[in-house]
Amino acid sequence: MRSAAALPAPHLAPRRGNSGPIVRIAALQKTFGDIEAIRHLSFEVADGEFLGVLGPSGCGKSTLLMMIAGLIGPSAGEIRIKDARVTGPRREVGVVFQSPVLLPWRTVLQNVLFPIELLKLPRSQYRRRAMDLLRMAKIDDFAAVLPRQLSGGMRQRVAICRALVHDPSILLMDEPFSALDAITRDEMAVELQRIWQVNRKTVIFVTHSIREAAFLSDRVVVMGRRPATVIDELAIDLPRPRAIAVTEDETFNRLVRHLRKAIEASHAQ
Amino acid sequence: MRNRIGKRAASIAWPILVTALLLLAWEISVRTMGIRSIILPPPSAVFEAMAERHDLLLAHLWPSLYLTMLGFGLSVVGGIIVAVLITYSAIIRKGFYPVIVVSQVIPKISIAPLFIVWFGTGTMSSLLLAFLIAFFPMTINAAMGFESVDEDIHRMARTFMGSSWQIFWKIRMPNALPYIFAGMKISITLAIIGVIVSEFVASQEGIGYLIKLAGGLLDTPLMLAAIAWLSISGLALYAIIAGVESWAVYWQPPSEAVGSGGGG
Repeated sequence: MRSAAALPAPHLAPRRGNSGPIVRIAALQKTFGDIEAIRHLSFEVADGEFLGVLGPSGCGKSTLLMMIAGLIGPSAGEIRIKDARVTGPRREVGVVFQSPVLLPWRTVLQNVLFPIELLKLPRSQYRRRAMDLLRMAKIDDFAAVLPRQLSGGMRQRVAICRALVHDPSILLMDEPFSALDAITRDEMAVELQRIWQVNRKTVIFVTHSIREAAFLSDRVVVMGRRPATVIDELAIDLPRPRAIAVTEDETFNRLVRHLRKAIEASHAQ
Repeated sequence: MRNRIGKRAASIAWPILVTALLLLAWEISVRTMGIRSIILPPPSAVFEAMAERHDLLLAHLWPSLYLTMLGFGLSVVGGIIVAVLITYSAIIRKGFYPVIVVSQVIPKISIAPLFIVWFGTGTMSSLLLAFLIAFFPMTINAAMGFESVDEDIHRMARTFMGSSWQIFWKIRMPNALPYIFAGMKISITLAIIGVIVSEFVASQEGIGYLIKLAGGLLDTPLMLAAIAWLSISGLALYAIIAGVESWAVYWQPPSEAVGSGGGG
């Protein structure tokens, strides 16, 4: 893991276990006109935790993530990051969207450095970090290439590097692999786990794939149909690093069955 | 690679061959049918006029080209500025934009005599007409380019706390570039039309004036020579813009549309 060692030291520091929740969501509500998207939603995310947010399509998961990112405001309730109320986008948050949203006129490296430019941070200083991230995501050979020359999976890797470049403490991921084929998707899940183990960010990973949520997360929060609220919560106590083969184990499948039942139960109501 | 160059060469060679054949057919039919030069001179006579009277032709071509480029340049700058206003000002977008669009039903060429009344027969009328015709596609295209930024890109920039100033220069502007060039390619041909029409209506110089004058004198070879020079200049201006485009909009895949039918 030469690549991992090249990253600045703070990311390798062990997490502090008892530092309390880094994200607190309390009695959150969101309505769009007459439509109630989120109703009385509350949960907490521990520092360094990988939290999966699982729910059916269109249940308001993305809305929730956009609110944590500070892009849209809640109708009631509040979101706190490190005890500060979220009122707009914050520096300590990095977002990976469903599509890679790379700028086609910028090379891979320039795309990764885009947040540094927007945040007016010293570009020369972060260039090395960007290269280290690209190396970690195994796309450093493509640093000088334009996005149109990359495959879908590679583009999403670039997007993950971009979300991490300014060293945020929280990474928000909105179904980042949903546009990829099944094989690439599994590969990316393993890669993401590896990147997360190196960087130790708090991750909130929104997905509608039960398998993906169970494979990646320390804990899964299940959201019901609109209006979204937390209907179940499940700790995933599988050792890391997890290989894709873990998804064939009986323990894993028991967890998946549990999550599926929770979702089905919410549909039956 | 060699195949690509071969295709490119073929895509240029075929139209040239067809043009040459058409000119040849024209030459032969004029000669064999004995058509008088006043009605339709053979291509050879037109080439002769182009070469022999190039002093006269160029003397009239330059002012027209100068006004075309000036009118075009103004329409590009003006169009982009108005497009920015449309993008950022709700009042202009909701109030002026529809008026600009609806005003396009006015055939702008019909305004040429009015400009002569207002600004006289000088260069001002030609310049204004060129600008007026070229301005609209420029504005529409640039505005489309500024506004067609993907919602996700906008969101992405906002999560990294990008200011509107940064979003304009780092996202909207490069996003609009292909649209701006598309607008420029339309505008340059329209600017030429504006200048020529204005010179037809009233002018003492310019290639439009020369075409009209040659028509009056029944000097058809000179007329066609003037039209040929004008077409060549128009083509050259268009090619310059297309060349700058392929350099500036480097991230767009090279157009494979031409010559891609071979399949081999």
